[in-house]
Amino acid sequence: MSQPLPPPPPPQWVVALNSPMPNPTKAASSIPDPPGFSSSKAVGKQREKQQKDQQPTTSKPEETDALKIKKAWEIAIAPSKQIPMNAIMMYMSGNSLQIFSIMMVFMLFKGPIQGLFNTNAAFAKFDTESTRAKLVGVKAVYVLMQLGLLALGIWKVNAMGLLPTTRSDWLAWESERQPLERAYFAFS
Amino acid sequence: MRLQAALFLAAWVAPAAAVYLDEVNHVDFHHALLGTPSPDSTFFLKPPSSSNASLLYTISDRLTAGAVNPRDGSLLWRQNLSRSDGPAAGFLRGEDGNNAVVGAAGGYVSSWGAHDGKLIWENHFTDGVVADLELLALQDASAKSDARDSIALLAADGTGIVRRMGADSGNIKWEYKDDGGDVPFQVSSSSTEVFYISLQSALLKGYKIKVTALDPVTGRQTRQLTLNSENDVATPESVLFVGANTASPLIVWADKSQKTVKVNVIGTKQVNSVTVDNTSGEEIKRITVHAPHKLNSLPHFLIHYATATGAWAEVYHVDLKSSEVNKAYQLPYLQGQSTVATSSIDANVYFTRITGSEVVVVSSASHGILNRWPLQSSSSDRALNAVAEVVSRGDSVAVRSATLLDSGDWQLIRNGQAEWTRHEALIGTMAAAFAEADDQEDLAHELEVEGHESLHGAYIHRVKRHLRDLQHLPDWLKELPKRIFSSLLTDEVTNLDSFGVSKSVILATENGRVYALNTGNQGKVSWSVKAAEAAAWNVKAIVTRPGVATIYPDDGSSVSVDVSTGDIIARTPPTNVKVHSIAVVDTESSPLPVTLSIREDGTPAASFEDKDGFLVTTSVDGRVLGWLAQDNKSPVWEFVPPVGQKVIRATARPAQDPVASIGKVLGDRSVLYKYLNPNLALVTSISEKDHTASFYLLDGVSGKVLHATTQKGVDTTQPIASAMSENWFAYSFWGDISSERSSKGYQLIISELYESPFANDRGALDSAGNFSSLHSSSVDGLPLPHVESQAFIIPEPISHMAVTHTRQGITTRLLLCTLPSSNSVIGIPRPVLDPRRPVGRDPTSAEAEEGLFRYAPFLDFDGKWFLSHGRDVSGITTVLSSPTLLESTSLVFAFGGDIFGTRATPSEAFDILGKSFSKVQLLLTVVALGVGVAVVAPITRKKQINMLWKA
Repeated sequence: MSQPLPPPPPPQWVVALNSPMPNPTKAASSIPDPPGFSSSKAVGKQREKQQKDQQPTTSKPEETDALKIKKAWEIAIAPSKQIPMNAIMMYMSGNSLQIFSIMMVFMLFKGPIQGLFNTNAAFAKFDTESTRAKLVGVKAVYVLMQLGLLALGIWKVNAMGLLPTTRSDWLAWESERQPLERAYFAFS
Repeated sequence: MRLQAALFLAAWVAPAAAVYLDEVNHVDFHHALLGTPSPDSTFFLKPPSSSNASLLYTISDRLTAGAVNPRDGSLLWRQNLSRSDGPAAGFLRGEDGNNAVVGAAGGYVSSWGAHDGKLIWENHFTDGVVADLELLALQDASAKSDARDSIALLAADGTGIVRRMGADSGNIKWEYKDDGGDVPFQVSSSSTEVFYISLQSALLKGYKIKVTALDPVTGRQTRQLTLNSENDVATPESVLFVGANTASPLIVWADKSQKTVKVNVIGTKQVNSVTVDNTSGEEIKRITVHAPHKLNSLPHFLIHYATATGAWAEVYHVDLKSSEVNKAYQLPYLQGQSTVATSSIDANVYFTRITGSEVVVVSSASHGILNRWPLQSSSSDRALNAVAEVVSRGDSVAVRSATLLDSGDWQLIRNGQAEWTRHEALIGTMAAAFAEADDQEDLAHELEVEGHESLHGAYIHRVKRHLRDLQHLPDWLKELPKRIFSSLLTDEVTNLDSFGVSKSVILATENGRVYALNTGNQGKVSWSVKAAEAAAWNVKAIVTRPGVATIYPDDGSSVSVDVSTGDIIARTPPTNVKVHSIAVVDTESSPLPVTLSIREDGTPAASFEDKDGFLVTTSVDGRVLGWLAQDNKSPVWEFVPPVGQKVIRATARPAQDPVASIGKVLGDRSVLYKYLNPNLALVTSISEKDHTASFYLLDGVSGKVLHATTQKGVDTTQPIASAMSENWFAYSFWGDISSERSSKGYQLIISELYESPFANDRGALDSAGNFSSLHSSSVDGLPLPHVESQAFIIPEPISHMAVTHTRQGITTRLLLCTLPSSNSVIGIPRPVLDPRRPVGRDPTSAEAEEGLFRYAPFLDFDGKWFLSHGRDVSGITTVLSSPTLLESTSLVFAFGGDIFGTRATPSEAFDILGKSFSKVQLLLTVVALGVGVAVVAPITRKKQINMLWKA
């Protein structure tokens, strides 16, 4: 058995990687960065500074809860902001059965129904032990707003004549009166 | 509902588009008929034209003169010459190279263009009816054209008038009047004289034949002869022949014992007796004389003797100098039927003898047979008479002959081969019905069996049935490539025979025959059979069920025929009941519909078992009667119109009248409920004195009048038609001015029945599932309908109305109307005839959505409504309609005079692919897409893998 060979010297790139970058020469450092390039060192420092600024504000739990509730309210109210826009769109698209109006009505129904199913998911990140009680009201408003959007969709579908609300829609289920007597005619 | 409204609107936008040009003769057919050709007035004639072809002219027993193309049997033109009612004999005369044929019927003499059938001149005589008509053989030197003057003999009581009419204008050149009390018989002419032949009553019995010779230029009598024929000629029918326009015109009569035949050359006193050489040993039934009609023909003639089983003929020559008649030769006695036709080329005369097995042509000069053809298709029908045209080709001759058969068929035989057949007897069609072959019957029966079994049993049954059906699979597979290729390659309209558009129509004609026409095959006659035992019958109805059609004449008998072959299956003997009409009753007790005969006084001949069945009949004296099924002794109710009125017509909803929707959806999507009652009857009664027409809507069970309306100022001599379907009825009449507000003209009135005037209201019965006319809870019984009516002024009279039927009644209905004055059949779309059309204002948007548009009093018949388009469909009395398996399509069949059939698609053919649909293009697109995918897929796959490596 021979003596184990000493470990091979690390390659050049490992050395370069591990050793800090040599300070640029004065001439080199005076070369301005190309437009659009920002020195990573400078940005990193700024970000660290920002994080350092914010960290003290999130530290208090009451404030965090208040913020969460505020955010939750924003999400709960958001569907109501769509109602005027959707109403105008529905009004403008007309009551005829066309591919665009059908697609729009479909989207109108799809949004609120998905929203209703995902109610808990939408508020999951604000859901903590402390905010849970307050969130119930918020969720109720959210559901109401989604129902408002749904109502708009139903109004639209009704305007398009797709709801069986009139007598003529049920005509096919009404049957002809059958005579109890039957007359046979022998006219020449 | 909105969709339905949209469909409805679409249906209105393109209502009943007329037939496309390439569908003519494919979806429709038309038999333009003349009637049975009159034997004396049928001839081949060459009109002057560049072509040398001759046409076949005739006048029929219906007094319709016409020209038929001998090549294919198509009708070139026809004109009806009857100008007055009542029977009259028709005459038609023409001459080769002459551009006019002269026809006469009754007191009406007219000349028609031989090519086009256009009127040249006409004369109406009121002082007698035409007894004979001849063209003058020689014309005046002064005549400009080569047209011939005509000589007409008019017969009145004891008076005979001979008139000569100019060829070009028909003006009377001279007139000879004989008021000696003789029976005017015929006129004849030779090259120098006109002969007026009358029958003078002899002292004791019989007639003497009196011949008066007239000067053709002045019409004065030159001489008069009387032949002593009183022992032989008992009636005018005893004179067999009066020769016309030959060089030696003849009078031929036979003695009563038919032992000798007397022949006289007109203008001489000499009567030649010819002894009949009867070797057959049978009684002679019929003697006919055939002689050429041309002036320059040889004076030869042929006497044809027919016995009950055979016939022979003798040819005679006339000696012009001595006026003697000599027998030249004899055509041998042959068993079976035989007819002879005469034709001439220049001076030569040819006789064509047509027997049951062969056609023989001989020259009049010698007995040598010039040509002989065996008959290809020997029909069992006896030939009654024939006309022939002989063409000489070098040594041999060719012949074509138009033969009238006993069956009423008119057949052209060219050199022994039947070229075409015109079924002229169809003009006397009395009744018709759509029939279905019984091949569908098995399946229907199997399905019925399945319906009655348990779920499990039905399933087993169905699997077994499908396994049994597998035996047809090899045949089906064998047919498949052919079917695919034919559907891809042929340019024709899609073949829809498997969708029930190819049905048989069974027709019964006056002469006791039954015909079957195939609507899928241009209305070709698939079979015809003599069904009546008598020569004629009066058919009241044809009742069909799959496979069998039963014909009911008025003597109470019935004949059942197989629909597909025409074999007579069953026959019931006549009863002593004079049948007025036939009722078809679907009772639950028997699987087949029961037919009942109704006597002329309206009483049913028998009763039938049906608890809730009622029978409604009409009597000859104009009453409408209602009967209980079990009781045929006394009626339950009787409808008698007010004094002075008489019932002329009664109509009911068709037995099969499916209603797709029980209400009418209005623009605001409310519903107006239809008054639907299958027991409704519409009775039309007129008062000739007051000039009114009344229309009563009756309930057939209780006899209650549900609605009545009376129209004033009606011309009751004009046709009054009515029809009924679903919840509406329509009628038309000629309305005259009776008050300030009324208008004059033909009117079409449509009335719709609703349960209530209010939308969403079902009337007094409300949501009841059934109703009874008798045991109604309310005091008034059946609730009355709310009737909405509207009148339209139409440009033409309507003689008959019917309604199209479709399978489920979803398609818009057409009101089928027969227009006698323009000889056409039209279908008026129902949306046009909507009584709810807004009057005097434009429709509101809701009304427009409903398909209503502004009411206009004058309803002009749109050209697209004419189902018969350019065809001249004359004499239609009845129009039938039958549903097909396609909801969009209804079969229409019209008969009475001509035969016309078509397919009506009132809402366009929405359930079949149109002609513009290119199957080839579709297949090519699919193939191109497949090729595209096959090419692009490897490229894309490669690219995606490369992208994975690059990443």
